[in-house]
Amino acid sequence: MKTLFKIIIVLLMLSSNVFAQKYITKNGKIDFYSDAPMEKIEAKNNQVKAALDAATGDIVFQVLITSFEFPKALMQEHFNENYMESPKFPNSTFKGKIINLKDINFTKNGKYNATIEGDLTIHGVTKKVKQSGTIEVKDGKVITYCKFNILVKDYGINIPNAVAGKIAETVQITVDVALDPKK
Amino acid sequence: MKKWLKILIIIAVIGIIAIIGVLKYINKPNKDIEKAKAEYTLNADVLYKEYTLNKAKADSLYNGKVIEITGNVSKIETPSDTMVVAVFTQKQDTSQIKTDDLLGDLNAEGGLRCTMLPNHSEAAKKLTPEIPVKIKGLCNGMAGTDLIIEKCSIVK
Repeated sequence: MKTLFKIIIVLLMLSSNVFAQKYITKNGKIDFYSDAPMEKIEAKNNQVKAALDAATGDIVFQVLITSFEFPKALMQEHFNENYMESPKFPNSTFKGKIINLKDINFTKNGKYNATIEGDLTIHGVTKKVKQSGTIEVKDGKVITYCKFNILVKDYGINIPNAVAGKIAETVQITVDVALDPKK
Repeated sequence: MKKWLKILIIIAVIGIIAIIGVLKYINKPNKDIEKAKAEYTLNADVLYKEYTLNKAKADSLYNGKVIEITGNVSKIETPSDTMVVAVFTQKQDTSQIKTDDLLGDLNAEGGLRCTMLPNHSEAAKKLTPEIPVKIKGLCNGMAGTDLIIEKCSIVK
């Protein structure tokens, strides 16, 4: 009876680790890069919130726009006030799913190719996106990495002609978010 | 000296000063938050309550401002060697948080999250819930149930 009890406990523990594990972070990194003819602009955000459910493949990101840090104060001011209108749209989110979940073994260290599909909301505009990236499983941590481009006009962000040479129409987004197992 | 030459020199000097002024304005570095004077000093619990009761009003008062927070930290997170976050956890209204989606999981625990400046990281690692502290930083507003304060330094 005792042995059976032990087996059940072990099985329960295993199943909770393998099948019901969620991963979470509040300190993920997202950078963006705009390469326009007259100026290159880079901004970093180290406060990205993200969660991943290894059982279902559901994944969410929540990004506070005012947390993007620019090398120059004026760039940051224009980004928040003129383009992203961060007082009106303070957060950007992504809610989606890993569609090739079966290819990823969350219990074994390694780098896996992942395709993610879902809704990306920037500046109050939601678009369906599908992107490829990698998921690295490293000693219990899950590191999501993805690089993709977005067209700023797709998200209703208007760039006046006067500054068109300084801000690119396409902005590169780099997601580098390490998630820890949720306790 | 001929009159037209004098006028030309004056115009050139004014032009150079204007160009320097514009360049300085465009390339102005980010504010040094550690040296900046705080506009508000508040208890962590009081500030959080203000945001939860009336976010728009709190945003207009504190977002983008240098503030000082007093209170006792709940925990210190060290997500990387160079990053230290002092957290003042705040009790959440669980009836307001959806538990059936991942955003609910993300926001089940919330509070003030103070990202320390690198030169204050080591001191921040030694903070404990028993000792009251005063932290200065830049208030960036709410992300879900977290109030984000950045470029933080320990005042005392």
